[in-house]
Amino acid sequence: MSSNAPIVASQLARHFGASDNPVRAVDGVDLEVREGEIFGFLGPNGAGKSTTVRMLTTLLRPTSGMARVAGFDIVREADKVRRNIGVALQDAAIDPLMTGNELLELQAVLYGIAPAGVKSRAGELLERVGLTAAADRRVGTYSGGMRRRLDLALSLIHEPIVLFLDEPTTGLDPMSRVTLWEEVRRLNKEGTTVLLTTQYLEEADQLADRIAIIDGGKIVREGAPRDLKAKVGAPTLLINVDAHHSESAARVLGEFGDMRPTAEGTLGVGLTAGARAVTDVVRRLDEQGIVVHHLELNEPSLDDVFAEATGHRLEGEK
Amino acid sequence: MTATISRTARVGAVRQTAAMSRRSIMALVRQPALIIPSITFPLFFAALGTSSFGRATGLPGFPKVDSFLDFSLAGTIVQGVLFGSVQSGSALATDIENGFFYRLLASPTSRLGILLGRLMGAAAYGAAQTAFFTALLIPFGLHVKSGVPGAIVMLVSGGLTAIAVGGFMAAMALRTGSSEAVQGVFPLVFIALFFSSAFFPRQTMSGAYRHIANVNPISYLIEGLRDLCITGFSASACAKALLVPAGMMVVSFALALRSLARRVAAQ
Repeated sequence: MSSNAPIVASQLARHFGASDNPVRAVDGVDLEVREGEIFGFLGPNGAGKSTTVRMLTTLLRPTSGMARVAGFDIVREADKVRRNIGVALQDAAIDPLMTGNELLELQAVLYGIAPAGVKSRAGELLERVGLTAAADRRVGTYSGGMRRRLDLALSLIHEPIVLFLDEPTTGLDPMSRVTLWEEVRRLNKEGTTVLLTTQYLEEADQLADRIAIIDGGKIVREGAPRDLKAKVGAPTLLINVDAHHSESAARVLGEFGDMRPTAEGTLGVGLTAGARAVTDVVRRLDEQGIVVHHLELNEPSLDDVFAEATGHRLEGEK
Repeated sequence: MTATISRTARVGAVRQTAAMSRRSIMALVRQPALIIPSITFPLFFAALGTSSFGRATGLPGFPKVDSFLDFSLAGTIVQGVLFGSVQSGSALATDIENGFFYRLLASPTSRLGILLGRLMGAAAYGAAQTAFFTALLIPFGLHVKSGVPGAIVMLVSGGLTAIAVGGFMAAMALRTGSSEAVQGVFPLVFIALFFSSAFFPRQTMSGAYRHIANVNPISYLIEGLRDLCITGFSASACAKALLVPAGMMVVSFALALRSLARRVAAQ
């Protein structure tokens, strides 16, 4: 494990509740986020993403394990960690009574920016996130997307080395989501290392250089999205048949590869022979008198990676 | 990037605390619904007392005053400050509820500054209330015998009282993280005020009511402020007006610090 990486965690754990029967929210996470990359932390609600981020950002003490962020120990050197990271937590915790400008100026003071630089830095960031026109409006009047952009600006006030974004686009409309993605990419190009948590597969796929899939407090897969998808291998064929044909259809599909977890009412198989096996599958189903109502061939996705790793799918659980 | 960023190990704690204080005052100013009760209720009680109990000034044990207002000002000030300080605690709890508190914790600002900033804001509002009540009641016959020096002591006392009560409310906010729980303490604050010499001198009380008023520190705070108003500037009046809230402040601030440490450690 390289000690120079901006984020390094080893057997990081956080348990809640009684010590004899604790809830293991995070259960021995090993992590290394390299300099200059966007690292996606992917998992469903309650998987341990936010708890991990809260530990890495010094808001939560680990029960065990260690982590270093920006070169500093998150427990022993928490203050140094805070000076070098930017944090945008879930739900954009912003005081609705203050204006965007006032919040940025307050944040600048909290991070020790010299008084002479406060106004110009606030103006710079407001322009960057497209909120100059709304700078003097109270945040309570902002839309969800505007609040997220302001939250991002707040987290950048001190030019952090590492940026933590906890579900930055949850609840945003598609347009706002894309705008935020563009800004994260821009920041990353400028050299900021980004760790973002998300429950959106597309977000992880679009943004992250590497991802870690977390489920039940443990990292179950880690790597570049392309590599992870390639490892899953075969494309997935999904079909919908009448309920009374489900069993026989599953038997037929089983001849062509391993059955895959799917949503209820749908059968899925990883086609060992690839897409060319589709015609054979359809022929065999027809021979059995099974009527196919819907057929869909999917190249491996992160959801397949997730399903392969955990036995259940991420999509549809949100 | 043109900002000059100070990465020195020690960030200006005073500047941070001042910024946090400004924020808490701004929040009050921008929510008139929070200010109005802490201004109108004490004035209502002062008006009610003056119109209904004016003749009570002749009762044995009642201090010699030119106007009932001279007697009631101290109660009005403390009542207003108590109301305002509950709001201060409630605002801190709201910060915890909506996550702003954790934004502060994620920054390199000192934990003490988060608490001090909130309490300094409460102190400024307490002093402002004291000045407002005094200035407003002068045209209606109020005389502050101790003059400007006494008025200054009263302002300081109002600020200290706000910190003292705000400290208890902050402790409650940090312990529970619930603005509703803090608001729920309000009746107790009001009871503490009623079982004091806020509305009548202790010398006119009897039974359990008098016993409680005798051990209630608010009685002595009010009597210090009252003495400054009706008997003039004296060391004993200043001591009561300043040392009683200062003592309460030490206790409440220690409680609030303990609650803050527990909340941060529990994270």
